[in-house]
Amino acid sequence: MEHGLEREITTVVAEIIEMEEDELWNKREAHFVNELDVDSMLALEMLAVLEKKYKITIPEENILDLTSLQSTIDLVRSKLDRSSAS
Amino acid sequence: MVLDFEGVKRLLPQSYPFIFVDRVLDFEAKRRIVCLKNVTGNEPFFAGHFPEIAIMPGALMGEGIAQASILLFRLSEEGSPEAGGRIFLVGTTRTRFIEPVFPGDSLRITVNVTKLFSKSAMVKGIAEVDGRTVVKSTVTLAAVRPDELRGHRPQTRQLGVRSATP
Repeated sequence: MEHGLEREITTVVAEIIEMEEDELWNKREAHFVNELDVDSMLALEMLAVLEKKYKITIPEENILDLTSLQSTIDLVRSKLDRSSAS
Repeated sequence: MVLDFEGVKRLLPQSYPFIFVDRVLDFEAKRRIVCLKNVTGNEPFFAGHFPEIAIMPGALMGEGIAQASILLFRLSEEGSPEAGGRIFLVGTTRTRFIEPVFPGDSLRITVNVTKLFSKSAMVKGIAEVDGRTVVKSTVTLAAVRPDELRGHRPQTRQLGVRSATP
């Protein structure tokens, strides 16, 4: 399940930022802006797609936490844990 | 009707010949807008697109969706101190052109907000003619002040050439 979530988010992000999934997974700690040329518009798109896919709400201030694929996975996981706990 | 053409011109940063919305028909703050664009054979772009047959350029239908989004943005923030003085730049688009649009067609443009931030948004837009969808587009756009673009504009080189007119 956990592995499934990582895989799914990698697929979503790879499509938005136009990168091969395997390459992105290998660079999951790479900084979106500084290393992968992701801008705020792509980050906004990522966030909107992930919100819809996982039925979670990611507030505007959290966009700064989307610094890498790994941090994106962590953020989605924390939102999912919170919604299942409540 | 929510806004007539004068109201549209007042809110859009664009001006003639680059306005692709005639009226705002319906509006729900921060959620949805419906606009009308009547296409006439007299549009300046038909001179070149194409000389043999007049077809509205797809990019300009996309522009209509972007302008409807700007109006949604501006109407949603009316009265706030942030309103005004900003221009809007499209960041990303995913667009499907489904049917061509000809002189005489009325484009009904509907934009629904997917995600709205204080200075950026992601929206889904469609344009219909007589109830048939002719374009679908997902757009992200950002509101910026013109002075924020200064660093991105090309610099003028000093060539040391004397002006021809003293």
